[in-house]
Amino acid sequence: MFGRSRSWVGGGHGKAARSIHSLDHLKYMYHVLTKNTTVTDHNRNLLVETIRSITEILIWGDQNDSSVFDFFLEKNMFVFFLNILRQKSGRYVCVQLLQTLNILFENISHETSLYYLLSNNYVNSIIVHKFDFSDEEIMAYYISFLKTLSLKLNNHTVHFFYNEHTNDFALYTEAIKFFNHPESMVRIAVRTITLNVYKVDNQPMLHYIRDKTAVPYFSNLVWFIGSHVIELDNCVQTDEEHRNRGKLSDLVAEHLDHLHYLNDILIINCEFLNDVLTDHLLNRLFLPLYVYSLVNQDKGGERPKISLQVSLYLLSQVFLIIHYAPLVNSLAEVILNGDLSVFSSKVEQDVQKNSAKSSIRCFIKPTETLERSLEINKQKGKKRVQKRPNYKNVGEEDEEERGSDDNQDDLDKTKGTEASSKSIRTSSEKEEIEMVIMERCKLSQLPISTVTEQNTTDEEKSAAASGSEITNWNRPFLDMVYNALDCAEDDYYALFVLCLLYAMSHNKGIDPVKLERIQLPAQNAEERNSYNHVLAEGLIRIMNYAAQPDGKIRLATLELGCLLLKQLVFSRNSSIIKDVHLACLEGAREESVHLLRRFYKGEEIFLDMFEDEYRSMTIKPMNVEYLMMDASILLPPTGTPLTGIDFVKRLPCGDVERTRRAIRVFFMLRSLSLHLRDEPETQLPLTREGDLIKADDVLDLNNSDLIACTVITKDGGQVQRFLAVDIYQMSLVEPDVARLGWGVVKFAGLLQDMQVTGVEDDSRALNIIIHKPASSPHSKPFPILQATFIFSDHIRCIIAKQRLAKGRIQARRMKMQRIAVLLDLPVQPSTDIMGFGHSSSATAQHLPFRFYDQSRRGSSDPTVQRSVFASVDKVPGFAVAQCINQHNPSPLSSPSPSSGSGSTGRCDSVAASSASTPSAAQSPSDDASAPEQPQMTTSGQTMLTDETLSAVSKSSKNAVKNSDIETANLSPSLIPAQQPTISLITDDNTDALSVESLTLVPPVDPHSIRTFSCIPQSSLQSEAEVCKVKEVEEECSD
Amino acid sequence: MEAIWLYQFRLIVIGDSTVGKSCLIRRFTEGRFAQISDPTVGVDFFSRLVEIEPGKRIKLQIWDTAGQERFRSITRAYYRNSVGGLLLFDITNRRSFQNVHEWLEETKVHVQPYQIVFVLVGHKCDLDTQRQVTRHEAEKLAAAYGMKYIETSARDAINVEKAFTDLTRDIYELVKRGDISIQEGWEGVKSGFVPNVVHSSEEVVKSDRRCLC
Repeated sequence: MFGRSRSWVGGGHGKAARSIHSLDHLKYMYHVLTKNTTVTDHNRNLLVETIRSITEILIWGDQNDSSVFDFFLEKNMFVFFLNILRQKSGRYVCVQLLQTLNILFENISHETSLYYLLSNNYVNSIIVHKFDFSDEEIMAYYISFLKTLSLKLNNHTVHFFYNEHTNDFALYTEAIKFFNHPESMVRIAVRTITLNVYKVDNQPMLHYIRDKTAVPYFSNLVWFIGSHVIELDNCVQTDEEHRNRGKLSDLVAEHLDHLHYLNDILIINCEFLNDVLTDHLLNRLFLPLYVYSLVNQDKGGERPKISLQVSLYLLSQVFLIIHYAPLVNSLAEVILNGDLSVFSSKVEQDVQKNSAKSSIRCFIKPTETLERSLEINKQKGKKRVQKRPNYKNVGEEDEEERGSDDNQDDLDKTKGTEASSKSIRTSSEKEEIEMVIMERCKLSQLPISTVTEQNTTDEEKSAAASGSEITNWNRPFLDMVYNALDCAEDDYYALFVLCLLYAMSHNKGIDPVKLERIQLPAQNAEERNSYNHVLAEGLIRIMNYAAQPDGKIRLATLELGCLLLKQLVFSRNSSIIKDVHLACLEGAREESVHLLRRFYKGEEIFLDMFEDEYRSMTIKPMNVEYLMMDASILLPPTGTPLTGIDFVKRLPCGDVERTRRAIRVFFMLRSLSLHLRDEPETQLPLTREGDLIKADDVLDLNNSDLIACTVITKDGGQVQRFLAVDIYQMSLVEPDVARLGWGVVKFAGLLQDMQVTGVEDDSRALNIIIHKPASSPHSKPFPILQATFIFSDHIRCIIAKQRLAKGRIQARRMKMQRIAVLLDLPVQPSTDIMGFGHSSSATAQHLPFRFYDQSRRGSSDPTVQRSVFASVDKVPGFAVAQCINQHNPSPLSSPSPSSGSGSTGRCDSVAASSASTPSAAQSPSDDASAPEQPQMTTSGQTMLTDETLSAVSKSSKNAVKNSDIETANLSPSLIPAQQPTISLITDDNTDALSVESLTLVPPVDPHSIRTFSCIPQSSLQSEAEVCKVKEVEEECSD
Repeated sequence: MEAIWLYQFRLIVIGDSTVGKSCLIRRFTEGRFAQISDPTVGVDFFSRLVEIEPGKRIKLQIWDTAGQERFRSITRAYYRNSVGGLLLFDITNRRSFQNVHEWLEETKVHVQPYQIVFVLVGHKCDLDTQRQVTRHEAEKLAAAYGMKYIETSARDAINVEKAFTDLTRDIYELVKRGDISIQEGWEGVKSGFVPNVVHSSEEVVKSDRRCLC
């Protein structure tokens, strides 16, 4: 017997491997099969191994030896497989066989080999074999097998599966019977198979699909989707305390899966399939279930309904995903223009052939199961009822050996079908199964019956768009949509309405004319001069609510509202917003400023939050598609973060979140307002990447304050660097070999994110960590620098520490001031924090960085040498002001002529205005500390300067940081009395840059500064200052 | 005959086309199915039991999405119904490593708001001489996305088993901790031991196993 032959059959590699792959071996396998035609417990393993080996040889033969296939075919070896299957050989054999076949078909690469395998209908016989589908494993391998086959479909191979004469297409019809299988993977495989079938461009086959299967399949599919939707709605309505969220999100994902599947079918663009599908979707699902539920919320009635929020949500998804023009246009038409008559009138002439019941648009269950419909269709296609038609081709020997069970099965089947078809044999039902061919033109104009195209003027349109004003325009769905925009209570529905409108206006399939009717412009709409006032007012109201302290508007709603409003009132890149609307909007923006002022605090964290919110908003702009994938918004808006709902999709909880929210509302409304007024954003973000010193920048460090140190990084690296402290940054430089007094930046980091600590047992060392601002709220702060700095002695170490610590406070202070300006708050007396607020010249002199030779301030004097600060425009976003009488500046020196300098120009206001205050000129010391001086100007004044400055800076092309006018000295014991200068040069060609003259407007008297800057200072003073700083810090935090 | 398993995890294997996905799967399936010596032979679906602790078996179902990328609905559905995945790249092919990010992005788009537990697999590590991606940078990338990193070779059967079992263990821990919960309608994780009881099955199993020992 061969029972023990396993050892060499499965012998694997090595010597045996060579002989396994040969025709001879296949012949031997054939011999084994002929000796074991009956499956028993004893030969089961042997048979399985044999089948595997045969598969292996076939795959080998596919690439190496065509005689293998000849033999296989000649001996009808597939019959043995079938034979084994048909015996009740148990799941083990079934699974192995299916798997092997799967592998076989997947790995055959030659077309001819494939044809061999597919010929003689054996594969179809396997497809229609009644496996035990209750066995999950068998089911999985079976559907996988079908899927593999479907991947092999093309215009040639399709003939092996689809028999034109008998109207058989087992691969397809068997597969779609599992379209609603409880296992998702099975359903997915079915979808794959159908898509693979539809994409084969074979007209007879597609005609068969359409005529015999499309109606049953699509009607069942649509019913299946609808049932899920009702379940989903149920889940929303019965939810308590968000407990159903898990299930809900699955149902939502399922609905999305369906929509994507439908869209994939539509994208294949098989015209007549699309017609059937569109018809079913529209008239059996979208209109009767989704759209119908927009109204009639209260009335009982027999029709199935879903709640308003679910309906809006699902419709948004439809428009976001499906872009097939005939479908989306008809749907949009009904929503925007239709009335309830669409549910009572006859749908369409073609459909009227059907029973009265189905001619009305409603969501009803198909009258029969898909399997039954398919069966009936098949019978109608052929004159006589056939049992399993594919079996007839199977060899005689096989026919004889068929178990009685099989025959019995088939008999039962036939009986059942006959019975069923009899029972439902009313004429109308029979008709229903017939193909309903929708003509395209009819379809697309189908729901428009109530609305006639009119030649309306803009005014009329506008009036029409405002809906309720004209009573004879009965558009209940649109009214509902507008009403749902109201968020006096909350924005539960409003968010969905916004999504729906957004999705419609961004849908590529929708005819812009449809949207024009409600004056909602599509994305690339034509030029126009009016817009939908009702909608605009609704949106502005949302913004007004959002800016209220107790506003119940979620950030997502506001952001989407802003997006829509921009879209609404922009025509060809220019705003056509009416003054009154703009005024309302400005009012909302004003409110948002007031709102944020309530949260503005001197605390450090406010600045971090402010910048962090800005970053997250810019990094993660609203993605409506993602938003509409999130099921959590289907449940009533909640405030608690314990639900795990994203911050923007819920209401704030606690003070911190309220602050964050206020910050975001402020950003959004500010950006919207600037956008509508066509003004550029010049003040945000507070730090611009482009304005910062970067590694490899080359700086002119002549006369600047440098402290030599050794930097020991965490991984043990050790380098010699000079530490320089700028307004916003500290940098580590090394001397530039090319030019004396210049340095190459090796590292630059923001002072505000820096931590400095002393080292316990080494008075010359400091530990410094600089974190990178988190790019997302989830990522950990990532240290870009983590090192120990060792200085040459403890005094230099103390100086460095002070300078860094003060620099940090100063950098933050400046930014806080800029926020204050943004909020129209009076700029706080900031200088005391640095300890030079009280005209103490001593402290003022400690201002750390970037001092320019005072003579350079004399902008009026073009003869002054300027090379040193030729590229100061690189200074981080501060105080960009510049003399207008400049000569042609080198492009290198002004990397961002308009945006860069213009932007920073405004920021300059603080410095500039302070510089212009009379007090600044009063005494040298005052003068020097001017930028840090308590701001005498009222907020109004600040604004004024702000504007004038921005006007000035628009024409200017270069930038000067406000620190440029800061003049301070270091203790003379360490630093030469002459003020050091650092300037940033990115290019070697400094001379070319020197033409420019940089100045502040108005210029500080250079003379007085010079006098001041030379005041000597003792290191003791600096010690005293430290104490002062500490005091001030305490004051500040109060 | 049905083996008793605690959970069923559904996994996907993704990565650029030539990185050796099918080889890896095929290698892992060995032992149950005969060695098909042709290295190009692929498997698009299979299931296998893995014993993560003595007596605790997890059934893995692995679906390959090969050839179906054309349809968004299909890939989407595959991703969504998977709890974990092996993200493969070829250590001798830098491009495949650079694409790891795209793959992650794509899955993220599809499974929002959920997440798939991935293990990053540097495949073909037998070809060390042609290496274009260092272990260090791969580990760094994996860490940045919170994944584990493992290097495998289907040819020499290095770490293939380990890649799957490690992933299985990680998912198992997450399920045990409740970070991944079994939900009706989602088939990434199925509980196999006690029907209808989902979260407490762990305890039940523990006591049962003790009795058997």
